[in-house]
Amino acid sequence: MEMEKETETETEINLSVKEEEGSKIEDVSGKVHQLPCSVKYNGPSSVSQYFKPKPTPTTGIQESFFRGRNLLGTTLPIPHPYSGFVIGKKSFVKRKASDMSEEKNSSCWEVKAKFQNLTYWNHDTLPSHDDAFSRSFHWLSVAEALHKPVTAEDLVSASMALKKMD
Amino acid sequence: MGSEEASSVPKWASKPCIMGIDEAGRGPVLGPMVYGCLYCALSYQKTLSSLNFADSKTLKEEKREELFENLKADESIGWAVDVIDPKELSAKMLKKNKINLNEISHDSAIGLVIRVLNLGVLLTEVYVDTVGDPEKYRTKLSVRFPSIKFVVAKKADSLYTVVSGASIVAKVTRDRAVRDWVLDETADNIQRNFGSGYPGDPETKAWLENHKHPIFGFPSLVRFSWGTCTPYFKNLVEVLWESDQMDEDGSSGSNGKRQLKLSNVGITSSKRKSEEIESSGKGRCKFFQARKLEQLTHF
Repeated sequence: MEMEKETETETEINLSVKEEEGSKIEDVSGKVHQLPCSVKYNGPSSVSQYFKPKPTPTTGIQESFFRGRNLLGTTLPIPHPYSGFVIGKKSFVKRKASDMSEEKNSSCWEVKAKFQNLTYWNHDTLPSHDDAFSRSFHWLSVAEALHKPVTAEDLVSASMALKKMD
Repeated sequence: MGSEEASSVPKWASKPCIMGIDEAGRGPVLGPMVYGCLYCALSYQKTLSSLNFADSKTLKEEKREELFENLKADESIGWAVDVIDPKELSAKMLKKNKINLNEISHDSAIGLVIRVLNLGVLLTEVYVDTVGDPEKYRTKLSVRFPSIKFVVAKKADSLYTVVSGASIVAKVTRDRAVRDWVLDETADNIQRNFGSGYPGDPETKAWLENHKHPIFGFPSLVRFSWGTCTPYFKNLVEVLWESDQMDEDGSSGSNGKRQLKLSNVGITSSKRKSEEIESSGKGRCKFFQARKLEQLTHF
């Protein structure tokens, strides 16, 4: 039991690029949508035949409908040098059926596709810079400032600034 | 809003005019709802009575088509329609702040009056088939247009010739719109045998049964907000919305009888829902909370 708890809190993620011969990772930019609802389903669906975003008179705003609801969306680029990835559990080929459970618990993931932008949708309301979703990108620059290694010059200028304050 | 327009302003329009307003396609579970109006000079009323207009429901389709063509050709009659897309109906009735069908209907009728007035037609009397309580509806219209005398009545389409005419305009437009409907969806297995669209029509029922989609529900021709859809949704993939949760908290009032009660579609308690719909950043510093950024320890 103790062991299981351990693995739940400290999961190691091994991310690898799909290694099939001659295969290139599919670019799904423009096809990634964040909906303002929870769809209790995981798997393929005929999205392009049913989900038809259309531009609106307002620049940058698209309109679509899902299950009778009106959605308003906008496409956000993923800031350089980041990328979006669609990942899936790594599939191990030619294994016995008894190994299936082990496969489920594996923390090996592989990249199935990548994207450089995504469209997020609000129910009824126009997307804005105040939306939590677009604001979440702030973390990228904050994280960079927090985690960037400190150089000697940084230390000098910081201590100078401190002295001035005294 | 709106589509075809009658001819440009005729001379008689500057004399006192009467107008009738009626709707077609309020009950059906699919296709647009159409509001139609027909107007003419007060002095033309007698001739109008001789044109054999009757409540469109009592006429055969062929007869309706014939009468519509006749009135279109009649230079002493003006008409206009407002075709409300089923997507608009669903979306408004499923909005975070829901708009019920009566309100949509009233707005459409008001829109038609505005359009005809803006054409330069001197409207003095307007006859309307009621939606909801006739007296409340009449008051609403009279406050909006003080210079017009409104007569709002049940079955106005069989009582007043001018409303019968409007009912033909609306019904023919609705039937043609459904017949020529261009589907948004491009799935190749969508058929066009919609039937009348009325929930009781076996052809409509069969069409609904054959065109439900586990994820998307139905093509957008269908009014998702109709109670008729509820039994079909039971077997579909569950979708949880933030606005449904608000609904359960009792923020929205009672709506039209046909309007889908959302709590029947969603399941379980509202607490569980909000947690499943989005991350909260609960317990983290303000920066993360405001951006709903949660720390992920496992997928």
